[in-house]
This record gives sequence, structure tokens and C-alpha cells, in this order.
Amino acid sequence: MSFEKSHTYEALNRIGRGAYGTVYKAKDKKTGNDVALKRVCVPLSEDGIPMNTLREISLLRQLNTHDHPNIVRLLDVCHGQQMERELIMYLVFEHVEQDLSTYIERHSKGFSGVQIRSLSREILNGVDFLHSNRIVHRDLKPQNLLVTHDGHIKLADFGLAKTYDFEMKLTSVVVTLWYRAPEVLLGLTYATPVDIWSIGCIIVELYSLKPLFCGESDGDQLSKIFRVLGKPPESEWPEENISIKWNSFNVNSQISIDRICPNICETAYDLIMSMLTFNPKRRITALEALNHRFFLEEPINT
Amino acid sequence: MPGWYYDKKELRHSPSAQDGIDYKTEMRYRKEGARLIINTGSKMDLGYNTMATGVVYYHRFYMFHSFKQFPRYVTACCCLFLAGKVEETPKKCKDIIKTAKSLLTDQKFTTFGEDPKEEVMTLERILLQTIKFDLQVEHPYQYLLKYAKCLKGDKQKLQKMVQMAWTFVNDSLCTTLALQWEPEIIAVALMYLAGKLSKFEVVDWMGRNTKHCRWWDMFVEDVTMDLLEDICHQVLDLYSQSDAPIHPDSPPLHSNAKQQMPSLRPSNGQEKTLSPDRPPSVNAKGPPLSDVPQFPYQTFTGAPPPAAAYASVFPSSMAGPPGGPPPHLSGPPPHIAAPPPAVFSYVNHPPPFSTVVPPGAPPYFPANAPPPGQPPQHRPYYPPQ
Repeated sequence: MSFEKSHTYEALNRIGRGAYGTVYKAKDKKTGNDVALKRVCVPLSEDGIPMNTLREISLLRQLNTHDHPNIVRLLDVCHGQQMERELIMYLVFEHVEQDLSTYIERHSKGFSGVQIRSLSREILNGVDFLHSNRIVHRDLKPQNLLVTHDGHIKLADFGLAKTYDFEMKLTSVVVTLWYRAPEVLLGLTYATPVDIWSIGCIIVELYSLKPLFCGESDGDQLSKIFRVLGKPPESEWPEENISIKWNSFNVNSQISIDRICPNICETAYDLIMSMLTFNPKRRITALEALNHRFFLEEPINT
Repeated sequence: MPGWYYDKKELRHSPSAQDGIDYKTEMRYRKEGARLIINTGSKMDLGYNTMATGVVYYHRFYMFHSFKQFPRYVTACCCLFLAGKVEETPKKCKDIIKTAKSLLTDQKFTTFGEDPKEEVMTLERILLQTIKFDLQVEHPYQYLLKYAKCLKGDKQKLQKMVQMAWTFVNDSLCTTLALQWEPEIIAVALMYLAGKLSKFEVVDWMGRNTKHCRWWDMFVEDVTMDLLEDICHQVLDLYSQSDAPIHPDSPPLHSNAKQQMPSLRPSNGQEKTLSPDRPPSVNAKGPPLSDVPQFPYQTFTGAPPPAAAYASVFPSSMAGPPGGPPPHLSGPPPHIAAPPPAVFSYVNHPPPFSTVVPPGAPPYFPANAPPPGQPPQHRPYYPPQ
């Protein structure tokens, strides 16, 4: 790989390869700090660089000026090699050593109630910030929730949804379905509530230390969801034209959340259930969730 | 991430300067490029924000590249093209080039090469990289409107003042002010200038507290009078600059703009702080009165500055606050795209820069002012070409 245009960064190694492109760990030669270089490939249209990309990148830069504690810092934007019909650019982010998925692995004995509360609050804080800036993350999962060495959450991998669409089509990397909201799985229009669904799944994972719904296809993912939460009544099934029919699901042997995570407290259960609400319009918002009893009560170690 | 503000020394050591282009020429290139962006954008009905954003990209670009390496009109088109997309008012690259071509001489258009569109499109990537994808730019316009809403005083004069300040903001795009100061400060300075010229007196302002000496203390910190005057001068200097090669018909130029503004700063080199309670003394070394032109300000197009000229220099989309002045200033909001060009009171009162006179004091610097109501002697109008 070449970095002719970014002399100031020395690539060290590849740290990730997702559907959204490749991420490298690199060293900023000027400061000596580690950074994460994210390679993004943008197709050039008839009229140059697409508006979506311009809009998303400038929004990312705008967000950065707020210095939100739960958002990963964008340090720089560079250009890669010049291509005929594509623009290669590198987004330079602060490097955070671990993500929530490795953090969970390292805590095989589980988290205390206080830890879960604090991690959940920080995730919601970051997401509320994105939502108030009209950004839907779309792909919240433990892999792109970074955890700093002192245990704080920083959201990564947001804000380029439309830019990424192009790259998604090109890669065969499977995108995880596990944190997807029902409306996404059903192919409906969606908005900020999809992120709340993902957070609901992640909070359960903080209690149980394993993913809540591990589906292998859209349909399988939905039936795994219904197995835990129950199938919504037919009246709740979306009226829009969708290929997946209500009566194509047979739910038997239901298992409830409190059986999956017996250590859950009552207020956490209530919050999680209001996040895992089938109807996105009735799902709790990030701001409402932050004011939920779960975050207001006295910390109790469980 | 880079900062986008430079001091004057840095501006004089630009890549173009290091490439052997003298400062005056560089300032002319900057002005000409900015003007092409504004004229092309106006002709295509783009909004003032889009044009201003394009101009700021343009100025930033040439803090990293030389005018020798990148011809100014190609860059200007590219900046407008990119600004159109960023400000959600996209225009086709080929249409921008076509419009620009109609505004340029054939000889100037030769810098676009054999395939003008390819030339501009290739530059887009270099431009983006140069400005580091920092695409959101704020302009003084919004602050101007915000500040005006807080000022209390004669409503009609306030309206005139806003209109005039708006014009100064338009014109400031042709200077490097956007590379020197935040839009808030530019807005304050040009409102201060317009306030003096239109004799608008700030009686009081909303949100005033005991710590505020000036209305702008509420919005910006540590702004000295020297700074404000420096900003005003940079804009006023535009009106005394030569555009002879483009406008051979321009009226004769004035040799020393500073001398025409004795009330702002005397030409003896001493910087004096102008404050309302202590008007500076009249510069005795100024030119004989007969040499002081009646209308010392020329717009940079070569047309004299009175209202009519301003309006045509910057067509309607740039000419005034959107939808007229802030609603509360004018009663029922007028449903016109841009307010009619104001007839600035200073047209009849040269020298144009009058200081705030303490109540009851004789008008300051009266020697040059004709009796009120007397029409100016010579006021030719040259439509911009």
C-alpha cells in the first residue's frame, strides 16, 4: 500500500478489515502518537466528488469541533493515490487500543452493575449526540464501540453511511445482522430508533457476555428475536409492502431476557424492554433512555 | 487539523510571494478570482452563502499554492463548483465553466486549456486535499443579522446601516480578511464602519449589562478599536485600487486612500485610536481641499460607490439581507428577494467617514461636506463590464 500523499503517517499494521474498508494502525511521525487510518474509497461521479460524501465528511469535521467525550476524534483527512474514477482518502482518527468486544472477552467474570450502568450511559450519551446532529449510526455493535484504557466508551465508524454504501457493494465481507433492528431486517425505512435497538442488544450482552440474537440470515435473525421477545401481534406488523409475512414465523419455546441474564435488575430489565420494542415509533429515544430510572437510582453492585 | 487564520506577515510570505509574485499583484489576483466567483454565482442565481464559501476556499487554496502554478480563474470555477455542492446548491461543472467563459475575455479563458471541464474536475481533488476537507465555512452575514437584531436606535437608519454593512461584507470577500479574522469580528467591524457612514447611533442594545462598554462586547472579546479600524481600512482600500486594465474607462484614481480618510487614521503614521468621546484631530498634512475628490470611494469594478453602483456590482442575490432586513426592523416583512438599493446618506456627505460627534458638538470635519442636500458634483456611473 502506498501513502505518497500522507508523509506524516507511517503505517504499522492492519487492524481491521470491515465491510466499510480497511483500518490501519499508524504512527504520526510529527507527534509520535498512534493513530487509526481508515481508508475510504469514493467513486467519482459525472460531477466529481458526490455530494453525499462531501456532506458526510464535513459533518464529521463539524462534530469533531464539539469534543464530545464519547466520540472518537477525527484528527486529519488525507488523500491517497490518485485513481481514474475513484478518490482514495484516509481518515485519521485517534487510536484506541481495544473495542467493547475485546473488553467483554477480557472480563470473563462479568461486569458489576455499576460498570454496566456507566458503560450503557456513555454509549447512550454518544448516540444521543449523534442523533441530535441528525446522524444515524446504522451499525452499532461492540466492534465499533471503543473502550479507552481507563474504561470509557468512544463511538467509532459513524457518519459515512452513504459514502460506505459504495464500498459495501464491492466487498463480500459479511455484515453482522445481530444488532439490526426489525425494521432494517424487514427492509423498511428506518431512522434513529435502529441505534436504540442495537444498544438494547449490547446492554444485554454486557450482562450475559454473549451476543443476544445470533441470526444467520434476515429471516433467521427475526425468528431469533421473536423467540426472546415474542412475536408482535398481527396488528403491529408493518403495512408497507414487505416480502416477509407475519404468518411465516412460528414461535415456540420462548425464552425471556431474565432467563438469559439472571443477574439483571428490575430497572435494567425495564429499560432494555423499552429499547427492544418492535415498533420503532414506540421505542424509547436516547435522551429518554438517559433519564430512565436505571440511570437515576443509587448504584447497587450486583 | 490546520487553522485557517494568518497574520499579515504570513500573508506576505504566501506561496505566490515565494514564487516571485509581488504582494500587490497577488492581492489583485485574489480580488479578480473572488470577483469571478461572485459574478458567475450571481449569474447562476446561487445564494450569497455559496459564493462566499467558494471565495473562502479560493483564498485558502492560495495559502498553499502559487498563482503561477494554478491559474486563478480555473481555481475560481472549481471553488464555486465545490461550494455549490457543499451548500446544497449544486451546479453542473460545465454550466459553471460556460457562465464563467461569458464573463471572461477569450484570452483569459485560454488558461482553461483544451478540456476545461477536465481541468476543473482534476483540480477538485487537489482543492479538497488542500483545504483538508474542511468544507463548512461560516460567514459574517449571519452574525450581521444576529447583531442587528439586538441594536436599538432609529429604525430606518438601522436598516440602512445593515444594508450598507451587508455590502461591505460582500466586498470584503475580495480582500484576505477571511484569512485573518473570524466572521464575528468582521461583522462587528463592518457594522461599525457602516454605522459611522450611515450616522446610525446605537442608543442601547438588548442584553446589555454593566460590563459592556460597546454593543459588540456582548458578542466578541478583546476587540480593540485599532483592530476594527484595520479591518475597515482593508475593505475601504478596495475602493481606491486600480482596475485600469479591465476598466479603462474608470474615473481617475486617487493616489492615497488613507489621506481621504483622515478621520480614521491620520497619514502621519501615528496610529490613533478613534473613540466616540475623543475624535481624532484633523490631519493638517492632508491634501489641499481641492484635491480631495468628492467621491473618494470607487468600487473595485471601477464604478463609483453610491447605491446604484453597489447594486449592480453585486446582483440581487448578494445585494442585501435575505428577504429584506430582519423583520422587526421594518415592520411587516417585505416580500421581496432583496431590498431595493438603499440610498446611502453618506453619498451626500463627503468625506464619507464621519466620526461620532458628541451631542451638541459642531459636526466634525465639516470643511469637505457640501451643504446638506447639495447634489454631488460629479458622479458618473460606469456599469460593471
